[in-house]
This record gives sequence, structure tokens and C-alpha cells, in this order.
Amino acid sequence: MPIIVNLDVMLVKRNMKSKELAEIIGITTANMSILKSGKARAVRFSTLEAICKALDCQPADILEYIEE
Amino acid sequence: MKDNTQVLTIITWAILLSSVSILLNDMREFDFNQFKEFQNWARTADKNESWFTSQNAIKWSYYAISAGLFFWRGYLIYGFSYFLSILKEVEVGNYFSEKNIKYFRKIGNIFIAYTINILVLRFLLAATNKSAFNFFNELKTEFTFLIPAGLAFYILAEIFKHAKKAEDENKLTI
Repeated sequence: MPIIVNLDVMLVKRNMKSKELAEIIGITTANMSILKSGKARAVRFSTLEAICKALDCQPADILEYIEE
Repeated sequence: MKDNTQVLTIITWAILLSSVSILLNDMREFDFNQFKEFQNWARTADKNESWFTSQNAIKWSYYAISAGLFFWRGYLIYGFSYFLSILKEVEVGNYFSEKNIKYFRKIGNIFIAYTINILVLRFLLAATNKSAFNFFNELKTEFTFLIPAGLAFYILAEIFKHAKKAEDENKLTI
């Protein structure tokens, strides 16, 4: 998939653990793992909004398009 | 949902058991010992005599086809048993599982195979009996509803296949 999820990078920048972020945005750690590993097929706007709010960043900081 | 599943399971068991008991009763009434007589006849039969015109051959082909009908009835009952497997999957919450898709296809196959084979056997029976066989009259008989039922199960399998895909996609939407 040409869309890359850079959640790991943002978590390191904000010095936050993925479990912590999962609790804040209200998703399970299993779903957080799916999101981080790039296995997710889609991201809801509400989830994206919650992630951006929790990490104080823009959607572009998390999602990146790389041509295959 | 669980209560409904239990009621359906009980009904399916009742249908299965009554079908099996009817089949076993019919088989009990059918004289299988005649097969032994047929073997004896086959050993002593005149090899020069034309097989197709032999009265014995006609009698035994009629007999063998009647026995073949039992096999297909048993096969249909086996098909009904897949309903129990589907209900079991539904009970544990696996509505759109790969197993259910496979079971629906199998039921469709069995229903259609049963109807086609029964039609062929009835045609052969009529041929050996030298009686008239009307294909359209046979199609009108009550058992042919299994063809649309079989097709309906193929359609269900296809719908469930797409539903499973949608469910998987939904699971991967965060």
C-alpha cells in the first residue's frame, strides 16, 4: 500500500507509548498494532482527529504517500 | 438470536431423524437379498443371450436403480446435516465464516446433484420398465423445488463471501 503510517515516528517525538495513545484515543491495543504495522485498510476521521489531538500534530505528520 | 438458533437446531434434528427413520424403514422393506440371487444368475447366465433383451437383466437393472435411489436419498439427508454445522457456527457468532460459505456451497451441490440424479434414475427406471417418461412431468413433481433451493444456496454462499470481505474490511478500519 502506498500510504505509510508514521505513527511510530510521532510517538517517539512525543515520547509516548502506543498503549498510552490507545487509551487516550479509545481504541484497543490490537487495533493500535494494526494501525502501526500498516495492516489497516482505512482510518476513520474520528480516529485520525483523536490521534492528532493526542499527539498535537497534523494528519500529514502521521500519513505519508509514497509512490510504488 | 441464541434462542432462535436452538429452536432451529431442534427442528433440524427432528427433520433429520424422521428422514433417516423413513429411509431406514424403506430400506428394511426393500429386499436386499435379491442381490445374492442376481450374483447366482450372473454366474449361470447364458453368455450368448443378448444382455439388453434378457428379462433377468431388465429385472435386475430395475432393482439396482431402485437401490440407487436409496443412496441419493441418503445423500440428501447428509446434505441436510450441513444445516446443523451452519447453526453451530451461527451460535458461536461466526456468521460470515469461511466454513458457512463452504457449507452453503455443499448444500447447493447436494440439492442439485440429488435432483439431477433422481431424474436420470427415474428416466432409466421408466426405460427398463418400458413405460412412458415425460421429462416435464417429472420436473413438475415435488422434489424439483430442490433445484431453485440449490441455486438459492449458491447465491447465499456468494452473498456470504462478499459479507465476509466487508466484515474483514470493517475489522481493519481503525
